[in-house]
Amino acid sequence: MSGAMIEIKDVNKVFKNTSGSETVALEHVSLDVGEGEFLSLLGPSGCGKTTLLRILADLLAPTSGRVTIKDKTPKDVRLLREFGIVFQNPVLFDWRTVRKNICLPLEIMKKSKQEQKVRADKMLELVGLEEYADYYPAQLSGGMQQRVGIARALAIQPQLLLMDEPFSALDEFTREKLNEDLLRIWRNTNKTVIFVTHNISESVFLSDRVCVLSPHPGRLSAIIDVDLPRPRRADMRGTPEFAALVAKIRNSFEGDLA
Amino acid sequence: MKKKAGPAWWRKAIVPAVWVAAFVLIWELAAFVLTQLLPPTLAIQKLPFLHNIAVTFVSNFFSLLESGWVTLSKSFVGFGIGAAVGFLLAVLMSWSKVMEKLAFPYLIISQMIPILGLAPIVYNIVRDGDVSRILISAYITFFPIAANTLSGLKSSGQDERDLMFAYAAKKPTVYRKLLLPSALPHLFTGLKIAAPMSVTAAIVVELLGTSSGIGVKILYTLYYGANGALMFWSSILMAALLGITSYYIVFWAERLCIPWAVAARKKAG
Ligand SMILES: Nc1ncnc2c1ncn2[C@@H]1O[C@H](COP(=O)(O)OP(=O)(O)O)[C@@H](O)[C@H]1O
Ligand SMILES: [Mg+2]
Repeated sequence: MSGAMIEIKDVNKVFKNTSGSETVALEHVSLDVGEGEFLSLLGPSGCGKTTLLRILADLLAPTSGRVTIKDKTPKDVRLLREFGIVFQNPVLFDWRTVRKNICLPLEIMKKSKQEQKVRADKMLELVGLEEYADYYPAQLSGGMQQRVGIARALAIQPQLLLMDEPFSALDEFTREKLNEDLLRIWRNTNKTVIFVTHNISESVFLSDRVCVLSPHPGRLSAIIDVDLPRPRRADMRGTPEFAALVAKIRNSFEGDLA
Repeated sequence: MKKKAGPAWWRKAIVPAVWVAAFVLIWELAAFVLTQLLPPTLAIQKLPFLHNIAVTFVSNFFSLLESGWVTLSKSFVGFGIGAAVGFLLAVLMSWSKVMEKLAFPYLIISQMIPILGLAPIVYNIVRDGDVSRILISAYITFFPIAANTLSGLKSSGQDERDLMFAYAAKKPTVYRKLLLPSALPHLFTGLKIAAPMSVTAAIVVELLGTSSGIGVKILYTLYYGANGALMFWSSILMAALLGITSYYIVFWAERLCIPWAVAARKKAG
């Protein structure tokens, strides 16, 4: 036992395309993630971020290599429902109200009505949507929809939260607001978060560590510690330390792409 | 902003109003040409004046309604059975690939048999007007329901299915919570297509000579001379109203059952 919550050892993923050609989406990716850590996977589109996240979620199997989460396989973790997942699209069910959407995983787990209500109330409060409990997704803004997605992922009280570019479809203002909200939620709930993004400053603002992935083939090209103090505040985005980290990450790309 | 003329209901009503007015005008004109200007041999049987039809329709309304109700109630039973069969078939076909491969050819073949041929065959076999009406209505109903429901069951996105998978939902749960709800709007599309068709199917059987129904009225009034023509057209009008009624029953049921989908469709324009 190394003390890491997630161990990714020499993971490779090769997609066979219909034309017979192969795409190497991930090559020799190794990474440990600590309990309670906020970790970003950062990189341009097509570098394998989603692929890696989907392997963690047992939505894909690696071609080779090994992944363990608390010494279990991703499949076991999925069957035990120990992670929550948030996609780029909110993926809400149109026919369910906000409250019922949040309850979906609880219903699947056959929790009692009473428990569903208690949890849903708590989640609604956590994401600040108490007043919208009985709205339908179509009646909400994009930012609110994504909050519902987060609330649903957290409703099952998972140890691990997997997020695939959850804010990339939102405007800059909403995104920054949700960044702060996410950090507040993270602080209050103590999850391990794997956060996929292609936005450098978002990854710096949120993370303990930023893993930089580079494309063709997808490789882990740098891991950068973000030593900004917590709690992070919006005005930290303007500090020289923040700018230095952004520059450092950007350089790690340029060195790599050259 | 440009100010539009008149209240909202007026703006909404004007298009159908013009439509109805033009329709009446053309009909009356055609009837005038046929009855007044051309040689008078049986002209009235070809196309009587619309206002005469209207009078006949109103004065015979209850007897027409009675026949109509017989037709509608039989076609409803057939429609219900056909919809249930179509729905179950779609669920089975989406549940298992084998089932889909097995059923699909039959589904296609079933659509190649014209109802005009099938109706007399069925009627000759069962020798019962009610049963034939129900069978033929069910037969015409099941296919649009099966086809639409099947495409509805396949309509949910990869993300939605991944979400259910990530929460380790079992197959029946995936059906109950995701696939069936997302198939409902498609199911209703099928129901809306099939409802008037099921009425037509019942009428087709009645034209073969059952003992009651609006189709029987249509059939017999064809041979009743000058007055028959008015009754003939009144019966046709009743038959059309039955089809429209059946459509609107489903239309309103849809609004009641899946308001979220109706609202989303409106939003999308
Ligand atoms: N199901 C798939 N079949 C074939 N190729 C795929 C599939 N999924 C992803 N890829 C390829 O793998 C690479 C990485 O994709 P992805 O993980 O989605 O990147 P990212 O999320 O960083 O944008 C891309 O080149 C993509 O085209
Ligand atoms: Mg991606």
